[in-house]
Amino acid sequence: MSVAARRPRRAMNSPIAYFFVLPALVIFFVFTIAPTLYTAFISLFNWNPLNISQSKFIGLSNYKNAFAGQANPSFWDTAKTSAYFVVAMVVLGPLLALLIALLLQRGGRLMSAARTATFLPNVTPLVATSLVWMWIFNGQFGLANQVLKVFGIGGPNWLESNTWAMPVVIFVSLWHELGFIAIIILGGLTTMSSELSEAAKVDGCNVFQEFIHITLPQLRPVMFFVVVISTISSLQAFTQFYTMTQGNFGTSTLSYEIYYQAFVVYHTGYAAALAIVLLVITAVLSILQFVLNRTRD
Amino acid sequence: MTGTTLPGSTRRLPGRRATRRPGTSTTGRVVRLVVAALVGLAFIAPLYWVFVTSTLNTSQAYSFSWASLVPHPNFSNYDRAWHMAPWERFFTNTIFIAVCTVVLALLTSLLAGFAFSVMRFRGRGALFGLVLSVMMVPQSVLLIPDYIIAQHLHLLNTYWIQILPFGASVFGIFLVRQFFLNVPKELFEAAELDGCGPLRILFWVGLPMVRPALLVLGLNVLMGSWNAFLWPYVMTSSNAVRPIEVGLSVFSSTNGTDYTGLCASVSFTTIPVLVVFLLLQKQFITGAFSAAGGVRG
Repeated sequence: MSVAARRPRRAMNSPIAYFFVLPALVIFFVFTIAPTLYTAFISLFNWNPLNISQSKFIGLSNYKNAFAGQANPSFWDTAKTSAYFVVAMVVLGPLLALLIALLLQRGGRLMSAARTATFLPNVTPLVATSLVWMWIFNGQFGLANQVLKVFGIGGPNWLESNTWAMPVVIFVSLWHELGFIAIIILGGLTTMSSELSEAAKVDGCNVFQEFIHITLPQLRPVMFFVVVISTISSLQAFTQFYTMTQGNFGTSTLSYEIYYQAFVVYHTGYAAALAIVLLVITAVLSILQFVLNRTRD
Repeated sequence: MTGTTLPGSTRRLPGRRATRRPGTSTTGRVVRLVVAALVGLAFIAPLYWVFVTSTLNTSQAYSFSWASLVPHPNFSNYDRAWHMAPWERFFTNTIFIAVCTVVLALLTSLLAGFAFSVMRFRGRGALFGLVLSVMMVPQSVLLIPDYIIAQHLHLLNTYWIQILPFGASVFGIFLVRQFFLNVPKELFEAAELDGCGPLRILFWVGLPMVRPALLVLGLNVLMGSWNAFLWPYVMTSSNAVRPIEVGLSVFSSTNGTDYTGLCASVSFTTIPVLVVFLLLQKQFITGAFSAAGGVRG
């Protein structure tokens, strides 16, 4: 006992710990925590970005305008556009990525090269690769229409069409994201129990039955997780919209509209209200993801 | 690209039958390999196509022919595009910003991750919860208030506003913490009893243990910095401090009709990213796992 009492002051209990967490906390406070509260504050004003002291407090009017659909473009149009993009990404992304993961899960050099190739677009900068696809979908000279011409089809001017602009942006976003999602699913596949599938084979299951009854149930947590992160990331997508369509032709999503209202037409208060709406949606999804993570471990 | 030679290698496969999983037919395997190769090629084809276009002259680029599917030894587009914008400046800015951000983020994550995992102090849980909550805030929510804050701090149109906000990373703190939690406590206790202070324990005992985490984090921050667009685009206005993707975006909007020049600039701004990716694939994949899995180290 006396030995324990005379033990020197433990380094790991030192208050220096506060100095260790301080730099990160200061950065988070100045650039994330305080600004988030500030956004909520701004959203209650008819904000004058050129002379802040002239801003007028208007309570919840920015939110009311939004939900009454009175702004131009209407909040509900923006919400519909966002929903179009998010639903397409969340349904197609995990589904196609699952197919890719199942296809590429075997060993061998070709398989590993194919995995690398599918993951590669994910690391490329979106400005550059959006330009790549704009060239391919160029109405006059683009590869897409040149190929269609071979089959006697006159392709549209893809990115300047209300019908086709959004599908093209979705296509490009899928190309950029699929490899990432497939890698996560592949991770899930490698941790699966092989005993169960052996047992299924012994019981005479065919490949399809094995997939439905053995693989899929085990993959469910991973798939759920992938759906949540796809939802969050597609809600925040901006660069491909800015580069390919500038929010025109029915592609003005919530994230694009925040930028447009705040930095193009200077409706800062209204943009802040939209930002808070986006924050609430994201926070709910993040909490869901966190809870899922907990239950998974 | 290596992908182009891949389909041929399927022919050698029957000879390696013994190493394959029993119960799948040879035809099935070959079909699977061919499909895998085609999927892989489909993902890299757009990038290949832009590279090819960057080596064509204008009339070749505008009229599709089979000859325009292979690169030509013509680098005049690169020469022209390179002289149409201050690319040296953009590259230097990007590298400077990326290196500073990586160093700062590594340092803050190392310190905070160490304190949150190994050290004991009052309020540890609450502060860590605060750090986690930062993760929920999307960048587009922060754009408006951070712009105003940067204006007041005279940080607009500087390197600082492109470095400081990314100098602390929730992902990084989480990753480092997770690594430290897996290190046997006895190691730290031994150093403690030898009379080492926390800083010495961190750098002499801790640092060597978390090197892989730091590499993954460094890469993650580096790529984020290189691919950044919306943030630097809004926060800066002069070429003197703007990074590469913003430069590329402005270049594309002023020279949008010079397709071959545009393809050249897309190529020379994206190739460095691809080289880094191909050299450090393993770390990228680990990064994808830990970024997504949130967090299980």
